[in-house]
Amino acid sequence: MKSIGITFLALQLCLTLTAQEDYTQSLAGIEWVKVESKAEIILKTHNEKQMRIKGKSTSKIPQKANGLKLVGSGGPDNTDVGFYVVKEGNNLIVRNLRKWNNGSAEIYLPANQNIAVTTNGTGQSDIRIYGFKGEIEANARLNGGIKIENVSGPVTANSLNGGIDISFTAIHQSSPITVYSTNGALDIKLPGNTPANLSLGSVNGEIYTNFELKFPVKDDLKSISVHKVKQAINGGGVSLQLKTTNGNIYLRKE
Amino acid sequence: MEKNHIVELLPEYLDHLLNEAQKKTIETHLKTCNSCSQELNALKALWSAFESEKEISPSEKLKANFFEQIKLEKKNSPKVVSMSSTAFQKNRNWTNFFLKIAASVVLLVGVYFFGKQQQGQISSKEIAQLTNESQAFKQTAMLSLMGNKSASKRIQGVHFIEEFNEPDEAIVRALADRMLNDENTNVRRTAVEVLSEFTSSEIVKNSFIKALKMEKDPGIQITLIQVLGKIQEKKAAASMQYLLEQDDTQPYVKEELELVLPNII
Repeated sequence: MKSIGITFLALQLCLTLTAQEDYTQSLAGIEWVKVESKAEIILKTHNEKQMRIKGKSTSKIPQKANGLKLVGSGGPDNTDVGFYVVKEGNNLIVRNLRKWNNGSAEIYLPANQNIAVTTNGTGQSDIRIYGFKGEIEANARLNGGIKIENVSGPVTANSLNGGIDISFTAIHQSSPITVYSTNGALDIKLPGNTPANLSLGSVNGEIYTNFELKFPVKDDLKSISVHKVKQAINGGGVSLQLKTTNGNIYLRKE
Repeated sequence: MEKNHIVELLPEYLDHLLNEAQKKTIETHLKTCNSCSQELNALKALWSAFESEKEISPSEKLKANFFEQIKLEKKNSPKVVSMSSTAFQKNRNWTNFFLKIAASVVLLVGVYFFGKQQQGQISSKEIAQLTNESQAFKQTAMLSLMGNKSASKRIQGVHFIEEFNEPDEAIVRALADRMLNDENTNVRRTAVEVLSEFTSSEIVKNSFIKALKMEKDPGIQITLIQVLGKIQEKKAAASMQYLLEQDDTQPYVKEELELVLPNII
């Protein structure tokens, strides 16, 4: 019994030693948070009025690096969690200094924060965004995909090779939504009663939807064998543009 | 001279208009002057010829005809004059009346149309001014949106071009600037798509060619190649050749180039 207690305490001690402290940063006067990363990046919402970057125990820090600072091409680590954070006007630049295979990170922000996320990784460098209500810009410049869930604000998303999945809880009618990809597929989910002016286009891919666009039925979703579709749904509304060069487009009614 | 006197006095002598003294001188002269007595004889013959000539009066028929003619003339002429004059008077009254009405109608209609035209000119001026103002407002709104920090707002600004019938050069240049220099790929791609409606503009064509050299996003590269291929822009051939020779150009972009290039040259 005693030995079990000691083992438990020892384990607890080990965990606290290995676990890094979170990094927090005030968002006073910040309009946009701009995140740049070569590795997978996950953005979630929380109720605090500040930014929190989770210190990840999974990141491998070599023994030999003890007492040394991480230095990346983007700047020095001024957060102790492998990030370089700096204010530029009313933008907050948040740069992940770790490489794609060692730098997966989670960032927590207030839900109404405007965010712009760019990844430029050769490997696993997905962008995942959950539950934001402000404006969202996501750009996966190389091989990463984009997954955005439970959002309502204007989204501007672009990927080169990865797919883009977005599910909207509602769609703000204030400004346009554009989702473009060169080689990735687009999978977009909207509430069925969303008023919007749809503009769908694919150069080499195909377009599937279960919105009433009055085209011949093929399976559950409708295949539209043209490069461009322009149509208003639910009486028309905000501009919603989905375009790919080589990927397919799936537009789903929720 | 004396002879002349006597000859001149001979008609009076024959008409017994001369006094005794003159009569005596003439009679004494006549006894001595042959020519004067001959003149006297000739005058006497003429005088007797005048007296012997019968007075001719017009025939009864002619007389009757003449008076009938006058009667007829009298009867006809006043009638004709009066008839025609009253009719003319009446006509003139009616014509005057109608003319007056017609004139007032014409005046009324004329004034109405003049006023309307004037009004029209004013309102069309006002409309033109308002259009100009709203055009200027739209232009300002568009330029301000395109300068926004939010990519979505900039895209909204780019789409504003659809509000203009004939966008002016400043707008087209601002759009071309977005297409070439915006940091966001979606903004650049939207600008390419929007500008592809204005390929008749030299500014647009030239900035497409420039963009083809600068743009790194393969999706936008393909859109540019397709637009330039559609309008068969020969000046784009060099840029396309350049892009085809670059090592970092994606294979599917090269495929598109190989498809389009032969149609241009």
